[in-house]
Amino acid sequence: MSHTDSFLPAKAQISTRHWIPFFHSFVQAGFPSPAENYIERVCDLNELCITNAEATYFVRATGDSMNGDRIEVGDVLVVDCSLEAREGRIVIVWLNGEHTVKRIHYQEENVILVPSNPRFSPIRVGPGDDFRVFGVVTYVLHKSS
Amino acid sequence: MFGLVDCNNFYVSCERSFNPSLEGRPVVVLSNNDGCVIARSNEAKSVEIKMGTPYFQLKDTIKEHDVRVFSSNYTLYGDLSARVMATLGRFVDQVEIYSIDEAFLDFEGFAHLYPDLHQLALTLQSTVRQWTRIPVSIGMAPTKTLCKVANYFAKRQAENRGILLLDSPERISEILQEFPVSELWGVGSRYAALLRRNAIRTAAQFSNAPDDWINRTMTVNGLRLAYELRGVPCKMLETEFAPKKAICTSPSFGRLIPDLKTMSEALVTHLSRAAEKLRRQGSAAGTMTVFVHTNRFKRSANGQPARQYYNSRTIQLPHPTASTAELTGYALAALQSVYQFGYAYQKVGVILSGLVPIDHHQTHYFTKGPDERLAVLSATMDRLNHRFGRDKVRLASAGYDVTWHHRQQWMSPAYTTKWTDLLQVK
Repeated sequence: MSHTDSFLPAKAQISTRHWIPFFHSFVQAGFPSPAENYIERVCDLNELCITNAEATYFVRATGDSMNGDRIEVGDVLVVDCSLEAREGRIVIVWLNGEHTVKRIHYQEENVILVPSNPRFSPIRVGPGDDFRVFGVVTYVLHKSS
Repeated sequence: MFGLVDCNNFYVSCERSFNPSLEGRPVVVLSNNDGCVIARSNEAKSVEIKMGTPYFQLKDTIKEHDVRVFSSNYTLYGDLSARVMATLGRFVDQVEIYSIDEAFLDFEGFAHLYPDLHQLALTLQSTVRQWTRIPVSIGMAPTKTLCKVANYFAKRQAENRGILLLDSPERISEILQEFPVSELWGVGSRYAALLRRNAIRTAAQFSNAPDDWINRTMTVNGLRLAYELRGVPCKMLETEFAPKKAICTSPSFGRLIPDLKTMSEALVTHLSRAAEKLRRQGSAAGTMTVFVHTNRFKRSANGQPARQYYNSRTIQLPHPTASTAELTGYALAALQSVYQFGYAYQKVGVILSGLVPIDHHQTHYFTKGPDERLAVLSATMDRLNHRFGRDKVRLASAGYDVTWHHRQQWMSPAYTTKWTDLLQVK
C-alpha cells in the first residue's frame, strides 16, 4: 500500500488473499438453444456493395446503350466516385449537358466512350466537349422478372 | 495547428454537384417558401444580387442574366454536408462540425503523418471535390480565430487557390494588418463601433492593444480573442455532441391564411416536427412559446400598409415532456389565446425551451410525472414515420389539408435520399 492511503479512516488492510474458485456454469433447466453461440448480424447488402459510403451514390439507368453489359432501363447502378476511371471500366460521365453511362477507353490523349449495345456508336471526346467523370460503376442492381 | 474547412457557396455547390450545367452561371437558392435569396454563386454575386433580396424584386435581374433559381433542398444539402464531414474524418480524428458547411480540424499529433500541411490541404481539397464535387477553402493556423482569418483570404485572393497556411509569426502579423477588425470572429457590430471610436481598425491593431484595456472594454472574451490572434490557442475543438438549448420551427405559409382551423393544423404539424427533434436529441421541454404574426409588407386594397398584429404566449409546462400529444394540448390552448379574428396571418410558430435530458424527472408535489404511455406512443410514431415516410402517422389535429405548406416551385430532386429522385443516366 502506498503512504497516501494511510490518512483514510478505517481502511481494511488486505494482507493475505484467499482464492476461492468460482464455477461459472449454468444449471440446466430446460433445453438450451444450440444456436445461441452462433448468432451474428444478418447480411447487409450495403456491406456487400459499398466500400466507401461517403463517395458512393445510386444512379438510375434510363437508356439501353449498355445492355451488352446487362445494364437495362430502370436498373440502379452503384457508383463509387473515389475510384479512378481506369481503362475499360464502366463509368458515369457528364458529357455536353447530360450524364451518361459508358465504358471508358483511352487512346493516346483521347477519351473514347464505348456503349455495349451495337445499335449505338462510340463517342470520341474532343477538346471542345464539356466532359467530366462522375464515378465508376461497381454494381448493377437488376430486378429479375 | 488547426484547420478550418469551409464549403464555397455551399447550397449552390450542392445544386451543381448533380447538375454541372450550372457551372459558370449565376445561381441562387431561395429560403423556405421561396421567399428570398439565401445563397448565391459567385456569378450571382457579380450581377449584384444581394443576400436576403425577396424573390419578387429579382424577376427582372433573373430574366436579364439568365439566373438559375432553386428552392432550398435541405435533404440534399444535409446529406452532402454529412459526406463532406465524414470525408474530413478520414484524415484526422478530431473534426468539429461548426455549421452545415464549416468544420474545424485539429492536427495535433499528426505532425509525423502530415509533415507538409500545405500538401495535406491540397489532398483534402481534391478528395472532397472528387467524392462530393463540393469545392472547399481551407485555412490553417495555430488558433481557430487565425484559421478564420486564413480562410477569409484563402477564399478571396485568387492566387491562394482556396488554401492558406499561416505558420510563421511574420506571415500572421503581416496578414492581420490587412484584416478589418469588424470581420473578426466574435466581433459584432456593437464592438466594431466601439473599436472604431478608439481608432482600432485592423486585427493587428487590436492584437497589439494593451491587455488590461481589452479586458476592461470587451471582457475576458475580448482578451481571449487577442490571445488567439497572437497565436495562443484559447478555443479548443468542440467535438462533443452538444444538445440544442431550444428548438424553434416557424416556416411561413405559402399563402396567407386567416382562419383558426388551418392555423391550428399548421401549428400541430410544426410542433410534431419540433417534438421529433426533441426526442432525437434525448431532451424534454419545460417551456413552450407559441407566436403568430401577420405579413409586414402586406398592403391592403387601398394601397395603405395592412393592419399588423403580433402576439405570443409562453407556457411553463407542469413537467418537462417530449410527447407530441401532450405538447399539442398546450400549444392549441396557447394559440387560441393569441389568435385574433380578421388578420391575414403569415406565420405561426412554436419554440420549445427549458430543455432537460429526457430521463430527468423532477418530483413535483401537485402534478404527476409525465404519462409513460405517451412516451411509448411518441417513440412508436417516430419509428413508423421513419420507416414509411414523414407524417404518415400523425395527430388528427394536424389535419389533412396541405395547401398551407410552403411553396417550393424550383426544388431539385433529392438525389441521395429518395429512390424516385436518383440521378438519371442514359
